Amino acid sequence: MSATKHNVRASIGPAMTLLVVLPFVCACGGRAASGNSQAAAAADLNGVWSAPFTPDISKPLGHQPPFTPYGAARFAKEDEFDDPLTQCLPIGPARGIQAGIMPFQIVQTPSALAILFENQHTFRIIHTDGRSHPKDVDATWFGDSIGKWEGNTLVIDTVGLNDRTWLDTAGHEHSDQLHLVERFQKVDNNTIQWTVTFEDPKFFTEPWSVTLPITRQNTEIMSYSCEENEKDRVHLRRTKK
Amino acid sequence: MMRTKSSIFCDLALLLVFAAPPLFAHHGFAVEFDKNSPVTLTGVVTKMEFMNPHIYFYMDVKGKDGKVVNWAFEGGPPNVIYRQGWRKDTLKPGDAVTVKGFRAKDGTHLAACATVKLPDGRELSAGSGAVAGGASGSGSNSGKY
Repeated sequence: MSATKHNVRASIGPAMTLLVVLPFVCACGGRAASGNSQAAAAADLNGVWSAPFTPDISKPLGHQPPFTPYGAARFAKEDEFDDPLTQCLPIGPARGIQAGIMPFQIVQTPSALAILFENQHTFRIIHTDGRSHPKDVDATWFGDSIGKWEGNTLVIDTVGLNDRTWLDTAGHEHSDQLHLVERFQKVDNNTIQWTVTFEDPKFFTEPWSVTLPITRQNTEIMSYSCEENEKDRVHLRRTKK
Repeated sequence: MMRTKSSIFCDLALLLVFAAPPLFAHHGFAVEFDKNSPVTLTGVVTKMEFMNPHIYFYMDVKGKDGKVVNWAFEGGPPNVIYRQGWRKDTLKPGDAVTVKGFRAKDGTHLAACATVKLPDGRELSAGSGAVAGGASGSGSNSGKY
């Protein structure tokens, strides 16, 4: 009996070790093969990355987004003075990629992927275990994200966002009906082509997309505390009447 | 993060740039500073705050009337300019420097620091230009760090 217990324990031990270690082995193992763009099920997105700073997301689009009358009116009166970042509020999922100025780190396991933003040390969790969005998702700063692999491209679907973040510094806003679809396509070991599609029937008449290159950075995520020595707010002035 | 002195020197050498409005992570430039009010001031550094969300340093500037005014200068986020080669002691109290920047809209003795000319003649960008390379999508920041 005790021998059986011992055997069970002995077999559980390595199994538990594997469960703990496997995600890291998988994540790191992918790195070795990451130069191969033909990587099968999932590309290796681990690393520290940065996209070109894009404070006005209409620039890569080439024109203003297809505003609804409501969206156009909101944008016309929006003032950088009201940028949530000046209040040290979270940057939001897409702006963190394209307008965070600072890099972000992707930590990838088979069941989930984390995007760790240096900007304000916020993060996103993208579930890649096959789950769906919850039926009644509460609105949050980074929403609920699920991802699936299409070859070397991770397709991330995000809903459940609050309406308090901006899409960029220029004051493009969104409602809590915002639906994000992002495609992280691994082009080579040092490049991810990122395409984000914004869908929000309250602000935009149709979905619109922007593509930017995300490039690997030879750096590490550094500390960041927005309130550490904040001295600007008392000096800010409205730029629009 | 391990950097050799020579690589840091190379980074600094790359930063011999011309004055341009710095770009900020924490707020837009135009809500605080006036791009139409450029200023060039020479004085002695009194304090350096290498802290988030932007570096601040202070400098005594003697006016034509002999009166000394302590100016405050705001630069880029410390993380961003660290990667460009700045360190906490790049500017030290007692350093005589020349700053090019843009005055605050509220008329206080505050300016956005675009560049600092050090006693040895090097002129450093204090903004976030290397990362904030614009929205070209060209990936111009690749390998910059």
